Amino acid sequence: MTELSIGQEVEIENGGKAKVTGIIGSGGQGVVYSVEYNSMSWALKWYDISKMKEPAAFKNNIKKNIEDGAPSNKFLWPKYLTKNQPDGTFGYLMELKPDSFDSFVDILNTYKLKVDPLTGRAVKHPVRFTDLSAMVTAAINISNAFRQLHRAGKSYQDLNDGGFFVNVNTGAILVCDCDNIAPDGSNFGIGGKPGYMAPEIVRGLAKPDVQTDKYSLAVVLFKLLFRGDPMEGEKVIKDVCLTEAAELKHYGSQAVFVYDPDNDTNRPVRGIHDNVIKFWRLYPDYIKYAFIDSFTKGLTDPNRRLIENEWQKMFVRLRYEIITCPCGRQNFTSMFEAVDDKTYKCPKCGTTFATLKFSNREQRMPLYIGSKIYECELKPETDDFAAVAGELVENKLKPGVLGIKNCSDETWRVRMPDGVYYDVAPGKGCPIWQGLEIQFEDSNVSAWI
Amino acid sequence: MSKKNKPANSAPKPPVQEQQTKLPELPEDDFDMLDFDDDPLSATGVSRKSLVIFFLIDTSGSMKGTKMGELNTVMEELIPEIRRVGEADTEVKIAVLTFSTGVKWMYAEPIAIEEFEWQRLTASGVTSMGEAFKELSMRMSRNSFLNSPSLSFAPVIFLMTDGYPSDDYKEGLEALSSNSWYKFGLKAALGIGNEANDDMLAEFTGSKDTVVHAYSGNQLAQMIKIVAVTASQIGSKSMTLADQNEQELSDEDVYASKQKMLGQQIQELVSKNESDDVSFDSGW
Repeated sequence: MTELSIGQEVEIENGGKAKVTGIIGSGGQGVVYSVEYNSMSWALKWYDISKMKEPAAFKNNIKKNIEDGAPSNKFLWPKYLTKNQPDGTFGYLMELKPDSFDSFVDILNTYKLKVDPLTGRAVKHPVRFTDLSAMVTAAINISNAFRQLHRAGKSYQDLNDGGFFVNVNTGAILVCDCDNIAPDGSNFGIGGKPGYMAPEIVRGLAKPDVQTDKYSLAVVLFKLLFRGDPMEGEKVIKDVCLTEAAELKHYGSQAVFVYDPDNDTNRPVRGIHDNVIKFWRLYPDYIKYAFIDSFTKGLTDPNRRLIENEWQKMFVRLRYEIITCPCGRQNFTSMFEAVDDKTYKCPKCGTTFATLKFSNREQRMPLYIGSKIYECELKPETDDFAAVAGELVENKLKPGVLGIKNCSDETWRVRMPDGVYYDVAPGKGCPIWQGLEIQFEDSNVSAWI
Repeated sequence: MSKKNKPANSAPKPPVQEQQTKLPELPEDDFDMLDFDDDPLSATGVSRKSLVIFFLIDTSGSMKGTKMGELNTVMEELIPEIRRVGEADTEVKIAVLTFSTGVKWMYAEPIAIEEFEWQRLTASGVTSMGEAFKELSMRMSRNSFLNSPSLSFAPVIFLMTDGYPSDDYKEGLEALSSNSWYKFGLKAALGIGNEANDDMLAEFTGSKDTVVHAYSGNQLAQMIKIVAVTASQIGSKSMTLADQNEQELSDEDVYASKQKMLGQQIQELVSKNESDDVSFDSGW
């Protein structure tokens, strides 16, 4: 391949030149450089066209994607193509990843390596989610990003841990490496990353499409929550060495989910898969069912793989089932004692939590200082999962009195302790009491104690 | 008010809970852990596959001078480049075996690439390559250097020499050939200068494609980088997809596919580098 050197200029199809300022990284398809273009910093992905079957078709597909635009702001989408070099080499410009985002690879490793430029020594920096809500929000956003992409009629094809960045404080995500994205049914040569590829691709029977994306999505979500490989258990470890044939077997023709209820030959191994063993215990059953279905029935039947919207709804639910206890414990309601059908109790410190019932869902939402009602819980059609409609706070003028603050830009109708309904404007709030009812009129949802 | 009182689960598709999926039965002892730590965020890193890269380096007297100087320098520079290849999936370790009159490991066990520091080598003595093969075969075992409890990729084995073995290398190679790690490993060799015998090196790697040759100091540095980086890239990742032929892949289809890929990539890179060296009046 034609490599670029620092200071070298590359012509952009839209006009102007991008000047190479550094190397960001290299991967299977080429190298990513940092460049200056129109006095802004960009990332330039520069291809090794000798590894491509049809470079012209590949480039044309990127061009089409640039014209179509990104499905949403969750994508670091190709922006500009470069002109071809004399030997046919080309690349595209995309926005740089903001510093506040970490690679999913680093999240899985729980650290990132920073190299001291003077000594060349690599130093480990911890990478972990600030709180449980941020992690579940990341799961919602990942599911949603792929829903948006698939709704645009495209498939990602190469979904893996290197494909996106996550803000560990907020759960915001950015999908990168969008260059293999193609209309569903088309493929420009990419197979995917082993471990993330659907079994039918590993076996050589299928090419990546929307259905195989769904398998990869389930793997990514499993890794995010359970921090392990869904197919790597006792059966795989017994082989000791992952030869090509072993891989074909364990990720293709004879793949077995580590928690397949009907096949216990591949359970996680203590000492190696401790994360999976521990976290499997913590999650509510509906989450476990989703993964079991995806990795048992969905293993061989692509139509049985969960659709993105189901994942999304499930994680929206999981997020409002989080309890942050004053004792410092943060967990899902499934890990708290249910005192009655309206109250949870912390098994460690004994604190009890009242709950709020919503008209649009079965499960009650636990109440604690900081618990949030998200806009997406009131308006299921939204793609914004960060917007907060209400938050449980302590009254600043009357310490000890808890209430729900209206953080939305809409007025609520609320039954106050005198039994009368009042308007609660944005920025105002209402105390929590036995007869509380909130009507979120814009979304036709109401909530009560 | 159409949405009112509609449970969240009443999606178009029946909720998964109703599909009569059952939960796996778990051993009782798994419960103990919860008494200590039930924090959904307190994860340790995902379990990684391990890859050991073996460097077998000839430190006989004939390597003295420029060859050893180049080799030491390029090996120091190489470590940071290899560090990047493992990513989240693979923990890369390095083991260096030198052979001259005897054989010697640089460290008592393979060292993680993040912590590895190159110790400069010096040259003297004869070329006990057969002994090196025997030593390697002994160490490439679950009970010795390849003792990672988790899954391993087959090792990368990179041999560098500038001369013909002074001992019976065939006997050593025979011992090695019965070792499965060697059999499935990614093997490459670099012949340095005019004395090194490429046919003999091909016996070690199993094919000519994975044997390269360097005649100058500059070439030596280039070849070491090409071979080591390519081999560790291929070795630390799972196999890449073969062309779809609408027919299910068999074990034979994928057998030694990494070794073949290594041969192809090395040859591509080597030919590219050689073409740079062509003088103006050649090749017409």
